[in-house]
This record gives sequence, structure tokens and C-alpha cells, in this order.
Amino acid sequence: MNLTKFASLMTVGALAAALFSVPPAAARADESAGGDAAASYARAAAKGDPLLEALLTELERSTSKLKIDQVQPPYYIEYRVNDVEDFNAEAAFGAIRESDKSHIRILRVVVRIGDYKQDSYYNQGVGSASIVPLENDPIALRRQIWLLTDEAYKSAADAYAEKLSALKQFSADPNPVDDFSHAPVVSVVDEPVKLKMEQGEWNKTLEELTSLYRDYPEIQLVSASVRFNAVNEYFVNSEGTVVRQGRTTATVTVSGSTQAEDGMRLNRNPFWTEARPEDLPSRDALLKQSKQMLDTLKALRAAPIVEESYRGPVLFDPDAADDIVAGLLGANLVGRKPQPGRPNRTSGAFATSYKTRVLPKFATLLDDPTMKQFDGKNLVGSFDVDSEGVKARPVTLVQDGVLENYLTGRQPIRDLPTSNGHGRATPGGAPVPSVGVLFMKSSEPEPPSILTGTLKHMASEQNKAYAYRVETLGPGNSPRLLYRVYVNDGHEELVRGAMFNELDVRALRNDLSAMGDKPLVSNRMTGLPQTIICPSLLFDELEVKRADTTKEKLPEYPAPAIRK
Amino acid sequence: MNRKQYSKFLAKGLSWFALRLRPAASLLLVAQLAMFPVASAASDASKSNAAISSDSILSTMQTELMRAKSDLAKTDPAPYFMSYTVYDQDQVIIAASYGGLLSDTAVRRRSADVTMRVGTPQLDNTHGQGRASGMMSGPLPLNDAPGAESRVLWELTDRAYKRAVPSYLNVKTNTAVQAEEEDKSPDFSSETTTVSVDTKLRDLSFDHGAWEAELRRVSGAFRNYPDVYLSTVILQVGTSNSRMVSSEGTAIATPNGSARLVMEAQTRADDGMDLLRVETFQAPNPGGLPDEKELMAKVEKMAADLKALRNAPVAEPYAGPALLSGRAAAVFFHEVLGHRLEGHRQRDEEEGQTFTKKVGQAVLPTFLSVADDPTKRDLDGVKLAGTYAFDSEGVPAQRVQVIQDGILKNFLMSRMPITGFDKSNGHGRNQPGLMPTGRQGNLIVSSTQAVPEPDMRQGLIDEVKKQGKPYGLYFDDIQGGFTLTTRSLPQAFQVLPVIVYKVYPDGRPDELVRGVDIVGTPLAALTRIITTGDKQHVFNGVCGAESGSVPVSAIAPAMLFSEMEVQKRAHGHDRPPILPPPGLENTAPGKVPGQKAMVRP
Repeated sequence: MNLTKFASLMTVGALAAALFSVPPAAARADESAGGDAAASYARAAAKGDPLLEALLTELERSTSKLKIDQVQPPYYIEYRVNDVEDFNAEAAFGAIRESDKSHIRILRVVVRIGDYKQDSYYNQGVGSASIVPLENDPIALRRQIWLLTDEAYKSAADAYAEKLSALKQFSADPNPVDDFSHAPVVSVVDEPVKLKMEQGEWNKTLEELTSLYRDYPEIQLVSASVRFNAVNEYFVNSEGTVVRQGRTTATVTVSGSTQAEDGMRLNRNPFWTEARPEDLPSRDALLKQSKQMLDTLKALRAAPIVEESYRGPVLFDPDAADDIVAGLLGANLVGRKPQPGRPNRTSGAFATSYKTRVLPKFATLLDDPTMKQFDGKNLVGSFDVDSEGVKARPVTLVQDGVLENYLTGRQPIRDLPTSNGHGRATPGGAPVPSVGVLFMKSSEPEPPSILTGTLKHMASEQNKAYAYRVETLGPGNSPRLLYRVYVNDGHEELVRGAMFNELDVRALRNDLSAMGDKPLVSNRMTGLPQTIICPSLLFDELEVKRADTTKEKLPEYPAPAIRK
Repeated sequence: MNRKQYSKFLAKGLSWFALRLRPAASLLLVAQLAMFPVASAASDASKSNAAISSDSILSTMQTELMRAKSDLAKTDPAPYFMSYTVYDQDQVIIAASYGGLLSDTAVRRRSADVTMRVGTPQLDNTHGQGRASGMMSGPLPLNDAPGAESRVLWELTDRAYKRAVPSYLNVKTNTAVQAEEEDKSPDFSSETTTVSVDTKLRDLSFDHGAWEAELRRVSGAFRNYPDVYLSTVILQVGTSNSRMVSSEGTAIATPNGSARLVMEAQTRADDGMDLLRVETFQAPNPGGLPDEKELMAKVEKMAADLKALRNAPVAEPYAGPALLSGRAAAVFFHEVLGHRLEGHRQRDEEEGQTFTKKVGQAVLPTFLSVADDPTKRDLDGVKLAGTYAFDSEGVPAQRVQVIQDGILKNFLMSRMPITGFDKSNGHGRNQPGLMPTGRQGNLIVSSTQAVPEPDMRQGLIDEVKKQGKPYGLYFDDIQGGFTLTTRSLPQAFQVLPVIVYKVYPDGRPDELVRGVDIVGTPLAALTRIITTGDKQHVFNGVCGAESGSVPVSAIAPAMLFSEMEVQKRAHGHDRPPILPPPGLENTAPGKVPGQKAMVRP
């Protein structure tokens, strides 16, 4: 490629950085370097990468030449390529049913016309996606980039006109929020990651795990799967940002399903997600945990059903609390700009809770993607730069119970004009503010023995024979493993068929009474890799009632004899 | 390429296992990509249990089916028919564009379809709206693992039964409550059983690396053409072995394999009309595909066609004499006639039933006859895509003479009987996971009023003169078509031509036009055929309908119509790309000075 052209592009980026008085981007190579040094570092790194070179060549061509009569030229263009290597395998009853590797590169192009205050990011103007060649032939790569840029520009033109006409229906907002925030220029070019794993060994592990069905005639279905991936993200924009970063994740899931004698369906599917396959539990450890899981399913078949409603103290172990923190807090603390003409700040349960109390005073919640490890464990939700080319920043969402901030990308919302580096995207998808590493902690952490003691004490004060302890949750925050903890002697009894009533943000604010001191690191892959770090949660009052589940018929005829 | 095209690409590339066509009112024939095998060898018809037990999967299926049969016999209502079909698919897909590989995957899958019929052959759970309750599908182990296979089959069978029973009770209630149906045929025909086991795998080993390199080169050849904005070259090579056992005693194993190469190229005219050229090649193995030289020549031809089309004028709506090439006529017959002769449409009360009551009557000019013959393997050296030995219900494929000397004689029958036709004729077909219906295999149109093909153009000119029209239309190549057969919508069809010429009676050269769609209603259109050519041509494609995508062939001679109606094609209005393509930065696409509409030599 032409070096002169490239240099001028970088100058534009550096200029933008200076103009908006933002701190100069730091290159990975030299943290103290200024914008120019960063740019030249990124340029040098891009030089050997045909994909980055192709992106920058087309970016330069499009930025300088793309224009239709009667339509404004783009004021901003970004390219993001996700190079995704995947390995998926699944086994049931001791036999592999699927074991595939795949490799795909997806390009997403965003072209914006208008300006930062008001632009074309609306309807079809939010970007176009396509696959691009897996190989590094420059012309083959640039062909796809060229075509998609052309389409994105035309879509932006249509969207801009639609948006302006849609806005005509509403009276002008006296305090308008910008459509796009300014962001510092970033140059980070990391080493690409590769998918490394032993396909044959993992197939064997899955077969071994699911062979356990032979020892559990009461369990109807035993299956297991792995999903490993390596994603390299390439990002360039017309402001001068250049990013190449990689991440890997590895997930193992083991599932068991059966019915109680009365027909009630009982499921469990514990999973393990780690940054690298080698961080996963060993085969022996997986085998042991899978056996434990199947033992609990077997125990659940014989467990009594929760018949009567209960209102009283409930203790959530960390492995259950993490789902509550992710679902009720994480999902409601993302700042999403409302549709044009709408007055709200954002959407979700905390849309109108800015600077108000949403948790008890002792609770603090942060999201810090820059945290790489906790307790010696690698955090999959950690990242340096988000999918909009903005450096990740730690964000205190809730301080001493009061909502102080939302997670933001480059789409500003009222009171939050800039990105805090949480605009994350799935391959080919539009970036949306998302959780990275969500950390819930207490200023008055309690050790487990105290929590259990408090639980029983609360129950006895309310003249209850027992309280409830939740070990793990299933979909919709329904309890998978729920125990009655008896006040008299502390013994526990596994029960089934229960659900929580009104386990919502109000309960978190008003009924959360204590938190544990031993946080669990919960890595998860829900489209994007995320980490929840959270201890036990004790609620002083929650309703536990019988779940409204239908009882399926038992199998019409016995399963085939198990061949040993 | 936009998001839609991206998903289209994925759907195409992976359609053989991922695509599940929902029941649609429109029946589509495309020359595009979907991975289905061409049956490539006759089965060994040895009728012995030894053959079954020699195959581990087949014997596991048999054992588990017999266990289900005897155990479920004690239930009420009990199943009267069950079958297991196991599909073994091993596929490689390589896609390239402008010299770079877009995708390169190898996927293995084994899946089972469990058919469950509860009630009696006269009335069962699959009646009317209950059709989908007849089948349950799921993945099976990739390698022989009898313990796991039988366990999965058991689980699928139990689920199939639990779904079939409520459906059967609904069917019984509906039949009692609703007005009597016009066609009182049973729901399932009785057939003799077949045992035919051939489990020898097709050898589809091929030089993967050499093909990757060839696809890079062939797709890279499109770089030379600034007008070709979008192009892909896709190779699919795969084996698909199916095994079936039924509670009636049928046991069939048929190995299949095929290789398919699809080249697609697209341009856009200045008015925003997208113009597409697709070339498809099919062979029993990669070695049977055209060599690189031939493919390169196709690239050149496609690019030249697209360039000519970009600059061709848009055709105006017109009704007048028209000449259809053999391939165009074949698609026309597949859409207009073939779909309306599918057996199940004759009893479905939502259907238009164009031909239901016309058995024994003339529906075509007397010089035309139509047969559907899945047992035919090739025509003049061209492999036919719709060839198979047994249909999806285990019934041997048969040649069916549907129309003889213009008189309607028969329908394409699955095991769903209709009035006057109580047996299958081996046309029950489906893609894995869907219930079979009567479908086309190789639809063959033959004529006794044929003139030498080269004389057909003069025939068109004569007809134009006779009618005093300014010009006639010659349809040289088509992309595919679709038709609507339900009552709630107009009985219509559309054929999508890509290369169409205006033929003038005064000796002017033929003029290429673009943006033409053939439209019309079936009964009227079929009676306007005046004469045909003397040579049959093959259109190999993939046909989509209620029972999914299946490979088909349509075969017909060129045909002269006294009148054909064409309409303007709907198209987008985005202009062609603004900047020139990478590598051709100094050219201005579509702006070659002094260029006029292309004419045919």
C-alpha cells in the first residue's frame, strides 16, 4: 500500500485527538508514547497484516472519495472484522454426535453522514455486514470491503432522510443528546490468537462424561458439549483508530434430564467457561462433577415437592447469586439511547433511577473490564479496547447503594455524553453497551457461618421450622437446587418444583439484607464473554411457591437395555 | 453484498443440514445451491435378513423398531405404522470469491426421522392439519455406537408417539364436527414391502488442496470484469447414505453421492436492476465436473452476458408469440404443470385443484406427452438430478405417464391416496425432517409434432407476421420460477428468464432485453403451444415445496407459443457502486463510451 496516503490518514486521527482535548492514545509497545508514536506503531504493525492493510486502504479510498450528488459525504466510517475460529462438539450416551471446526470472517461497516450531533445512525443506517475471504489476497479482501462500504453509504443516506423526517413529528428537544460521542484515537495492535485444542481428546472426554448414563438408569438424557473459540477483532475508523485484539474462550456443558415418578421434568446443565481450554477442569474433575450433578438429579426425583407458599428468609449461594446479579442488575445498567422523540434516558428497570438508591447501603457494584484476574482466575469478560475502538474503563455503577453510572458505548445518553468503553459487539453485530467484568461487593461482608446463622435466626424469629438455601438456578431464575435449612438442628432437605415470586429489582433494594465474603468468579459465554464476581446474597424476605409446571407423561415403554 | 446476501450465502452453503423450508404457497425451482445427492447406483435387491444384520446401524434400527412396535402395541390408541430413516451426510463445502476462499468446511451429520402413525390407515394423526405430527427428528451418533443409537431412537419414538396421540384425537373430533370432505380417501395406502440393502459407501475422496487452488483461480478470473460486482464459486462434495426400516418389514439402504459446482455472478444496471447469471454443474463425483478450461470459458461467457445485460433496454409488457428454449420450456412445465400433478394437492381443500377432475380429458395439445421418470439416470450424457431408486417412503421409483397424447392419465403419488388413485407410484419425497408428499423427479416432456430446432426461430417469425405483431420474444435461458397453487391466491405462475431477445420479423438483428418475467395462468398457457423442437434439453435444479427441497430435473424440447404474456420485473433502485472496484481503480464501471445495446450475431 501507499505509505504517504496512510500517513495522512493517521494525521487526521492525531488531529482529531488533539482537537477534542482527549488524552493521546497509548500504543501497546510504549505506554508513554504520544498519539504520533502510537500511530506509527500501529502503522508498523499493520504493515505486516494484509487484512489491516486492506481495511486501511479501502478506508482511505472511501473517506476521500465516497460521495453521491445531493448527498453529504460520510463524516465517519468504521470497519470491524471478526475472524472467528470455532470448535463445537456434542455427545450423548457415550457417543459423539457433532464435532466440527469452522472458520469465518465477518465484516461490519458503519458509514455515518451528518455530524456528531445528529447523524444517520438509524434503521438501516446502523451498518451492513458480510463475510469476507479467509485468506489474505488484498484484492479479494478489498472487493468485499468496497462493496459493503458502498451499500452502507447508500443505506446511511436513506436512513438520514428517514430520521430527519421522523424527527419532524416531534417538537424540538431543548436539551438534545448527541447521536455520536467523540472518542480518543486508539492504536493497539496485539498478537493474533489461534484456536488451540486437541479435538480427538475432547471428543473422548465428552464420550466418557456421557457414558455415565450407564450408571444412572434413572436419568433419561445425558449429553455434553464443548464450544471453543478464538476471535480476532480488527477495527479501523476514519478518526485514526487502529485496533487488533484477540480473545479465546472455552466452555464445557454437561446436561442431564429426567422425570420424577409423578412426571415432573427435572433438568440440570452445569457449565464451565474459561479463557483457555487448558484452564478448564481436568477430565477427572469434570467426571467427578458430572457424577455429582447426576447424583443431585437422582436425589431430586425422590425430593418432596414444595406444596405450600413460604415467605421468609432465603440465602443464595454465589453460584445462584451470580445469575441474579447478571439478570437483574447487569442487564438493567446499560445505557441505550431511546428512539427519536422519546424523553427517557435509557431503557430497562433502572431507566429513571439515576442517582437514586437501587441497592442497600452496604452494596457496591462495578464493571471493570481492565481487571484480568481475580483470585488467580482468568476473567473472560476482561478486554482492553471495546468493539467501537474505545479503551475499556472501570465504571462504578452503584456506590453505597446509589446508582451512579451506566455502561455506555459511543451512543450518548442524557447526562452521560461519552463512552466508558463498554460498546461490545458479537461478530457481525452492532455494538451495544454490555457488561464486561461485573463485580458486586459489600462494605460489611459476612463469613458463611454467620450468614447461615442469620438465616436460621430470621426463620426462627418468624416461627418457621426452616428457611431456604438456593445452590444453583436455572432459566428464568427458577431454582434448580433448593434446600430447606431446618432451624432446630441445621439439617438440610432437597426439594423440587418451586419458584420465586417477585424476585426483582425491588427485592434487591428492599429485601437484600447481607452479603457473603467469598465471591465466586463466574465466567460465562452469553453471546459475549462476561464475568460476574459476586458473593452469597441473603434476602430477609422472599416468596417461595409451587411452580406452575405441567407433569408430562412418563415414557410409554422402557429404554433399551444398557449394554455394558 | 449486504446482510441479506450474507444470510443467503450461509443458508445456501449450509442448506443441506440447516435449511428447513416452511410450508409455502409458492413452489420454487431454482438452479441454485442446495446439497442433495444424485442417486448414483442401483441397489442390490437381495432380500435377506442377512443383508440387514450385516449393517450395524440397520440392525440396531430394526431391533429398536421391533421393540417399539411390540411395546407400543399395548397402548391406546396404538400406532399402526412406524418407520425409522437414518441419513448419513458427509459434506465438504468450499466457497471462493475474487480469488480468496470465503468458506472451507467439512461437516458430518447423522440424523434420524421417526415416522409415527396412530389410528388406522383410513384415519390417522397425519390427517389434514395434523400432517406434521407424523414425524420426529434428531441427531444420532456419528460413529457406530449401538447403545447410544438405540437410546436416541427410543427417545425420539416416545416423543413422536406423545405428539401423535393428541393430534389423532384432534383429527377424530374435527372429522366428526366438520362438514364431510370431498375426497374420502384413506390417509395411508397399503404397499408391498421392499428389502434392498446396499451400504457400500461412495468413494468421494478428492484432492481438496487442488480444488481450493482451482476455485481461487476460477473465482479470481472475475476480477478482470469491472461490471461483475458480486460473484462466488462454490463446490459442494458429499455423500448421503440413507437407511430405512418400517414396521411393515421394509428395509432399504441406499448409498448416494454427488458433486456440485455453482458459479454465480451479479451486476447492477444504472437503473438499479440487479442482474444475475448462475451456472450449475452436477456430477456423481468431483472428477465428473468440467475441467478448469471449461469453467474459465464460462466465467468469460457470464461476464460477457452480464455486460450485455447491463446495457440492454428494459422490456415492455407484451403479449404475443414467443419461443422458449428447451431449458426455459422445461422450467415452464415444472411450474405450470408438474406441481399441479402432485397427488396430495388433489385432496387438500385449500388447493386450487386445477387438474383434479380432468382425468381422461385433454389438458395439453395432442402432440404432447409428459412422464415423470426417476429411474432415468441421464439424457444424452447429462446426469439427471431427480434420479432415485426408492422414494422417501421406501416405495420403488416408477416411471409415471401423467399425460398421454394430451390426455391426463395419472398423478405423482406418495402413500397419501386420492380418489381413483389408491397406491403410491414412488413419488413420495422429502428433505430430512419433513413429511413426504407427491413430488416430481425427472419430468420429461415429449412431442410428436417436432421441427428441427434451427427452424424454430423462423417459426416464431412466421407467427409474428401472421399475427401482425411488431416482434416476438425468444427466451434463451432462465433462472427458475415459482407458482401458486392454493385457492386463496390467484392460480398463477412466474418464470424468471435471464436471457431474452426481441426477434423482429423484418430481418433486423435480435435485440437483448432485460427485466422480463413470464406470467400467466396454467390452463390458458398450456393450450397455446403450437409446435416443438426435435431435441430435449435438461434443467437440473432444486425444487422447494411443503416437503422441503429436493433435487429435480425437468426435460423438454424448445416450444413455440402463439401467445405468451410478459411483465416488467420488480427491482431495487440503488445505483451501481460509486467507486470503481479495487484493482480496477482507473476504470469507471458501466461507463464504456459509445457502447450500444448488444445484439446477437
